[in-house]
Amino acid sequence: MAVNVLIVDDSGVMRAMIRKAIELSGLSLGEVHQAENGRAGLEILESSWIDLVLVDINMPVMNGEEMIAAMHAREDFRSIPTVVVSTEGSRSRIERLETSGVRFIHKPFSPEKLRDTLRDLLGSEVFHA
Amino acid sequence: MPEAVAHEVAEVARETMEKLAFVFALDEPAAASPPTDPEHRVQVAFRGPRRGMLEVALSAGALPELAANMLGVENPSELSADERTDALRELANVICGNLLPRLFGENAEFTLGTPVALREDAPEGAGGAAADCRLALENGACRVRLFLEGGGLPGGGGRAEEGAAS
Repeated sequence: MAVNVLIVDDSGVMRAMIRKAIELSGLSLGEVHQAENGRAGLEILESSWIDLVLVDINMPVMNGEEMIAAMHAREDFRSIPTVVVSTEGSRSRIERLETSGVRFIHKPFSPEKLRDTLRDLLGSEVFHA
Repeated sequence: MPEAVAHEVAEVARETMEKLAFVFALDEPAAASPPTDPEHRVQVAFRGPRRGMLEVALSAGALPELAANMLGVENPSELSADERTDALRELANVICGNLLPRLFGENAEFTLGTPVALREDAPEGAGGAAADCRLALENGACRVRLFLEGGGLPGGGGRAEEGAAS
């Protein structure tokens, strides 16, 4: 099964870095969608089949916490595996996010950290042997 | 105390450049002579228990390599000016995000603004930086300055304060 991914970050460079790290991870990759804020990310979720969301926290227009809250308010989006990729350093905010069911990766991250998190989250069957 | 904060700023900047862009840096005295080539400057505002701004300035000679490494591009000349600037914005964002909990403690919640690139002819700040550090890079230099509204230095139980107390 190919995994359709949505990357939400206001930095084009960071979106490219995340995409490259996903490609290196061996994930069976389908479509890759990108958005530069939470609102644009939600619009993509409305129009496309997405299996995995990677989202930053600090973004203009709609931040990552707001996007995740909007996703969790929707039954059809609630179960989409979600990884926050952020510089966020507040232990309380990270714990709040993790309690809501999302994973957290701290920037700067290594490709290995991303791979291990995705394997843990999605299972090894969606990765190339 | 100011030395402890500047040391923390330098350490976070060095670690971030190393991990994010495979660019290795050495400490330089803040009073070292300014770089001879123009600088690209980016500012990140933050608010939370304290309000302030972090400024990262990178000499023009160092930016192409940094951006190319971040994007995994072999030839830095392939990158547009926008891509280079975006790389510097993200560098500043990551430095700021990693620095604040080190200065103010892991329970402090901050919101970071969108990093803003300054025009080349933008005037220098009026001074009063809480920390000012310069790092030597292979192809230039990087200067990182932390400004805090209301002046003063971190007092939130972060590592800088612990260092000052020891």
